[in-house]
Amino acid sequence: MGACLRISLTISCLLLIWISASASIPSRESLGIAPQDLSYYKSDVIKCKDGSKKFTKEQLNDEFCDCPDGTDEPGTSACPQGKFYCPNVGHIPLTTFSSRVNDGICDCCDGSDEYNGNVSCPNTCWEAGKVAREKLQKKIATFQNGVTIRKQEVEKAKQAFAKDEAELSKLRSEEKILKELVQKLKEQKERIEKAEEEERKKREEEERRLKEAERKANESKNAPEESSHDITDQAPEKLSELHNQDAMEDHHDSAVEDKNDYTTGTEISDNQVANDHDDTIAKSGHEADGRSDGSSFSHVEKQHVVEAQDNAVSKANTDYPGTEEELSSHVAEQGQVSDSTEGLSREELGRLVASRWTRENAAEGNDEVNMAKEGLEHDEDIREENHDGYISDSDEDHKFEDDDLEDDQDAEFGEDHEEPTGAYSSDEDDKTDYSDLTVSGSSSWLDKIQQTVNNVLQAFNFFRRPVNISEAATVRKEYDDFSSELSKIQSRISRLNEKLKYDFGKDREFYSFYDRCFESKQNKYTYKVCPFKKASQVEGHSSTQLGHWDKFDESYRVMLFSNGDRCWNGPDRSLKVRLRCGLKNELVDIDEPSRCEYVAILSTPALCLEEKIKELQQKLEDMNTGQPSAHDEL
Amino acid sequence: MPSPASRSPPLLLLVPFLLLLLFSAASAWKKDEFRNCNQTPFCKRARGRKAHSVPSLSTADISISDGAVVARLLPSQPLRQATDGDDPESDTVPPRPLLLRISVYQGGVLRLHIDEDASAPRRRFQVPDVLLPDLDDRRLWLSRLSSPAAGSSSFYLAEGFEAVLVHDPFQIQVRRKGSGEPVLSFNSHGLFDFEQLRAKKNDDEDWEERFRGHTDTRPHGPQSISFDISFHGADFVYGIPEHASTSLALRPTSGPGVEFSEPYRLFNLDVFEYLDDSPFGLYGSIPFMLSHGARSSSGFFWLNAAEMQIDVLGPGWDDPAAPAKDRIDTVWMSEAGVVDAFFFVGHEPKDVLRQYTGITGTPAMPQEFAVAYHQCRWNYRDEEDVAAVDAGFDEHDIPYDVLWLDIEHTDGKRYFTWDRVLFPNPQEMQGKLAAKGRHMVTIVDPHIKRDDSFYIHKEASERGYYVKDASGKDFDGWCWPGSSSYLDVLNPEIREWWAEKFSFENYVGSTPSLYIWNDMNEPSVFNGPEISMPRDAIHFGDVEHRELHNAYGYYFHMATSNGLLKRGNGKDRPFVLSRAFFAGSQRYGAVWTGDNTADWDHLRASVPMILTLGLTGMTFSGADVGGFFGNPEPELLVRWYQLGAYYPFFRAHAHQDTKRREPWLFGERNTALIREAVHVRYSLLPYYYTLFREASVSGIPVMRPLWLEFPADKETYNNGEAFMVGPSLLVQGIYEERQKSVSVYLPAGQSWYNLRNGVSYAGGVSHKLEVSEDSIPTFQRAGTIIPRKDRFRRSSTQMVNDPYTLVIALNGSFAAEGELYVDDGKTYDFEQGAYIHRRFIFADLKLTSVNIHPANLGGKFPSDCVIERIVLLGLPSGAKKAVIEPGNREANVELGPLTLRGGSSPDAITVRKPNVHIADDWTLRIL
Repeated sequence: MGACLRISLTISCLLLIWISASASIPSRESLGIAPQDLSYYKSDVIKCKDGSKKFTKEQLNDEFCDCPDGTDEPGTSACPQGKFYCPNVGHIPLTTFSSRVNDGICDCCDGSDEYNGNVSCPNTCWEAGKVAREKLQKKIATFQNGVTIRKQEVEKAKQAFAKDEAELSKLRSEEKILKELVQKLKEQKERIEKAEEEERKKREEEERRLKEAERKANESKNAPEESSHDITDQAPEKLSELHNQDAMEDHHDSAVEDKNDYTTGTEISDNQVANDHDDTIAKSGHEADGRSDGSSFSHVEKQHVVEAQDNAVSKANTDYPGTEEELSSHVAEQGQVSDSTEGLSREELGRLVASRWTRENAAEGNDEVNMAKEGLEHDEDIREENHDGYISDSDEDHKFEDDDLEDDQDAEFGEDHEEPTGAYSSDEDDKTDYSDLTVSGSSSWLDKIQQTVNNVLQAFNFFRRPVNISEAATVRKEYDDFSSELSKIQSRISRLNEKLKYDFGKDREFYSFYDRCFESKQNKYTYKVCPFKKASQVEGHSSTQLGHWDKFDESYRVMLFSNGDRCWNGPDRSLKVRLRCGLKNELVDIDEPSRCEYVAILSTPALCLEEKIKELQQKLEDMNTGQPSAHDEL
Repeated sequence: MPSPASRSPPLLLLVPFLLLLLFSAASAWKKDEFRNCNQTPFCKRARGRKAHSVPSLSTADISISDGAVVARLLPSQPLRQATDGDDPESDTVPPRPLLLRISVYQGGVLRLHIDEDASAPRRRFQVPDVLLPDLDDRRLWLSRLSSPAAGSSSFYLAEGFEAVLVHDPFQIQVRRKGSGEPVLSFNSHGLFDFEQLRAKKNDDEDWEERFRGHTDTRPHGPQSISFDISFHGADFVYGIPEHASTSLALRPTSGPGVEFSEPYRLFNLDVFEYLDDSPFGLYGSIPFMLSHGARSSSGFFWLNAAEMQIDVLGPGWDDPAAPAKDRIDTVWMSEAGVVDAFFFVGHEPKDVLRQYTGITGTPAMPQEFAVAYHQCRWNYRDEEDVAAVDAGFDEHDIPYDVLWLDIEHTDGKRYFTWDRVLFPNPQEMQGKLAAKGRHMVTIVDPHIKRDDSFYIHKEASERGYYVKDASGKDFDGWCWPGSSSYLDVLNPEIREWWAEKFSFENYVGSTPSLYIWNDMNEPSVFNGPEISMPRDAIHFGDVEHRELHNAYGYYFHMATSNGLLKRGNGKDRPFVLSRAFFAGSQRYGAVWTGDNTADWDHLRASVPMILTLGLTGMTFSGADVGGFFGNPEPELLVRWYQLGAYYPFFRAHAHQDTKRREPWLFGERNTALIREAVHVRYSLLPYYYTLFREASVSGIPVMRPLWLEFPADKETYNNGEAFMVGPSLLVQGIYEERQKSVSVYLPAGQSWYNLRNGVSYAGGVSHKLEVSEDSIPTFQRAGTIIPRKDRFRRSSTQMVNDPYTLVIALNGSFAAEGELYVDDGKTYDFEQGAYIHRRFIFADLKLTSVNIHPANLGGKFPSDCVIERIVLLGLPSGAKKAVIEPGNREANVELGPLTLRGGSSPDAITVRKPNVHIADDWTLRIL
């Protein structure tokens, strides 16, 4: 009984479906033709659209292909290049390939592509359309909200840009003043040094004379007495300290740039240790409130890190000196000689041979080469950051100093609190550094400086002999402080210049991206995308560069990062970030469809364009007007 | 997301070493890693011999026994001369008689069997399960020997042929009766040598062999066999795959004027980045050689699975002053086994192919989907990737039938498992493809991960199903999963066990639309000698690996194929692609030419390689379209699709490091060109399927060298650039970048129709043709009819009910013929007669559909399919209409396009909508 009932129900259902399906099938003359094309088929003799031939109305949709371009068979599968139009009332009309007509698979939600009875396709347009309409409505809502956010962002960007420009011009004038002051101090310092030198000579002369006298006296009497040595020694000591500092910086540069010659520091050859150091530094850097001690500590320590990594590279390079090509040919030659695999264990041999196909390292977990490459990469980074001759204190480690940035960011971009945790500011320019100069109220600090300098300069009495030691030290200290401040300002200028030369979009809608990174975690990797800078894939302590900022593409819908780390026998890594409208700046998806070519999606209000809303609304309207009232009950 | 990011504390000191690995990996073929003839003692010894330098054997006690000729072979001299000074091993061989047996089979096949007598210390290996089980039923019962001359005996071989056994020195000759003209001869140059097994005598005698740190204990000492075979009346010899070559005919490997060359090596090897032209052995071995000349076609097959080396000797090798004409001498050398050799003689080359596949089997009839286009990559990464690629084909209206998953789909290279993160719902994934009529293939290799928690390994090791090493322990080698063991597929019990693993119950996540790919079955062992298994590894029945090496992949392929057969209760035709192969592999599935490279020379070499496979039975073969290694330029990729669309097995594949190359990734123009190339294949599917049927019945390959169709046309004998698809279609590849024109030789005796524009070309002439990027030159031979299906679908599955187009190319007498075979494309019902087989005959302006389905077979395959269009090439204009009988129906005749492509001009005479059923008898008269 139950079965019977079910069967009859099924039959009546099928019947209903069949009726509704067949009811939606237009006549042969209009089958598969889009409404706007119907007039083309009005006449009795119709031309093939490619002009190859003419056909009669009887030949329209007669299951025989007369026009190779498919003009005569819009409603059948007879022409391979034909297109079939399904009205899909209640949903979006669809133009599909003729190859889908009567192939036994339901493609159009109204089932109009399957009419030969081999398969029955229920009309699902209303249900599917409902879902689609809701989706579209949501999308429109997102766009509408997004547009508002975008406007705010654009406004903020405008202000930030103006602010940066203003800052830049102010810095330039400050630089000018400061330069003069430093120059004055320098002259003063030199004069002091000269005076000291004279004084020293004089004293030496005196001492010599005294000694001579003493000697002479001693020759008769023998009781020598120490002169006031403490005072005389102090100045040269200070001087040499200064020299040492310079030397250190020089040395530092050469270590980075001239790695072939760099041979010390072998004791730190374990990268793990180096990385651990990094961590410690990051923490200590974070904890340290001021910049002075903490930063100089980390500065030095980091230097060690670089040295350690450097050292690894230089080892490889000292073994195989020369360029990379030379290196490879050298290694290849060596390979010829030692290609004999006899020395390898069976497992090593297996891995080695497998690695030809996989291009992976032969031994499990030995990504040393990669690590070494990273060393190189770090190296490069440092070199890059060094271009203004100033070793930046900012390092990747500081990116996580959220406390620091929030002060900054809050002032400039108030809404950043709403950002998902995946996005954060990059703080590569040493704003934090500089802030201690600016916070105090920018208009007055120069005055103060000038005041200080003048005081110093005036306080120093050249005509007093011997030279007042504490005053001389003050001059030197002031000179050191101000020249360091000058170089900070110069560095800041160059950073601002660097920043302002980028293209930030039509409305500078991407201006805030300059100081930000977006992060997404997928399985064991964390992906970091820092617009205008670089993108990387991080796993534990190791980081692989996916690319350096290249440009916007497809009229600001795509960000390209290129020239990342090299792949094994493959291309340099690259990343293409597709942007789409969303209420938050969020890295939502990242993928590697082709080896070492990454693709990501970043949702951002910057892409919520007002003109697009109208388009979407029109689409929604089209969908709504197509709704048949009969379907309301379903 | 595989990325070589660091994972563990680094060992910086290893950097130079690893760089070395990296760079050595980047260079191509590792010649030093593989043995050459000089490093292979048996080959070096055999190659060093001069004609008639081997102590000869004489035939004794010749008689007929059990319908075969039997005799003993004795040394002519009582003891070997110590002339083999360089060969300390052989001068102490105690002379024992060898046993000779010659039998004859229906159709002109002579079988020569030579083995040691029962006193040998060990039974030599005879390759089982390769010859067809019913072969013995086809043996001719010889009843008498005649003596045409003193010192020789002769006996009947086939109509017009006889065999002669020369007694002393021992020699065998196959010759034409009457004229006495020789066709094939064995030992006519006295190079036959048989190293008999002997006991290891002194402790100081070192039988071991060493090669690159690997030691072969060789416990049974030297046991090689070598002999010479002469092909008389031959212009060229062909066959003995697998070698990469741009030449179809085998080039001489030694003799005057031949640059130093290795012999052709038959030893199944996994060769990284193989060269496009080398006698070096690749993944499979078929010790079958054919010869062809204007007067004669013959073949020789040595059933032996040990390493083999074959020299093709250039004319004058024995006597530079008097080079032999019309004869090609060859020397065959094998490390072990017995002489079990077959001689084939025929009136034309197709006879030789029929004879060969008569003993090793004809190619299995594939499922129809397998004849369509396959999309593969190492690797489609996860289910989303699979869905996106599948959708990409639909979006660009490019048909495909099968999506492939390489090793990365597994859980840690444990075959029969799935990576649960990347492929959480394998059945659902296959179901989605199946809903569009598409299939999936997953890879299953013979190396089993040595992991106690892996059920296959657990069972196999508990049951003792692994190949043993020389010390008797389970052999442990390195392959994709790391430490691995290898199933001993020589053992039928193990093959049965393996086959069970493919049941839906055992292979979790598999569905009826899933088929299998066997890779690495040479077997590939990364840390083994020559990247393979040590020769002293031990198989079932105490057989040494050296004795069966070349057949290992064959048995694995066989077991897998039987697994799929069992899975479908014997109803579903298996599809298994294998990389390694041996004689007879054609019965179990398809093969491909392995890891080729994305360059033009590899594109060129693919044609001689596939033609050679077809000539030796393996018709279902192809090369990776696009090239496995490297990134093809779009132009090369397009040309490869245009050529690959005509390979019997049509699959695109790529290494994991290459850029993605799905057909739509190279701009609209290239997408359109690739779509067109794939469409050409789909429209020709009815023709291809008919050709596969022919191959499965007769052994005649789908893709044929020109000379197979035109045996009298000498110009075709060494043409490896063009080929025939069946009897009707000629395809010329384009193998150069930006090629503007090509010279195409069209065989004599017929005219030819260019399939793009219908223009007719004379045969027997080379034509210089302009080449466009649109297509490669293809021609239909006058006098033939090709069935097509010109409606395009997502996959072949949806084409079942679509109507046909017949393209009729008329010859000088306005006649043509062609065939169409149709069945359900899936099951074995055709064996009970459930198929349609028609011959279309056009003559006297009348097209007739004749039933060639044998009436006595019974069975019927129902089909409502009709012919929607008939295109006539070479018909004088003036046709008005067509009248169809029965029914006296009329159909219009008009000018229509030759192919349904935008922009093609309507210049072919076309019968519009005859709508005759392909299952029916009918005639159609042109008026």
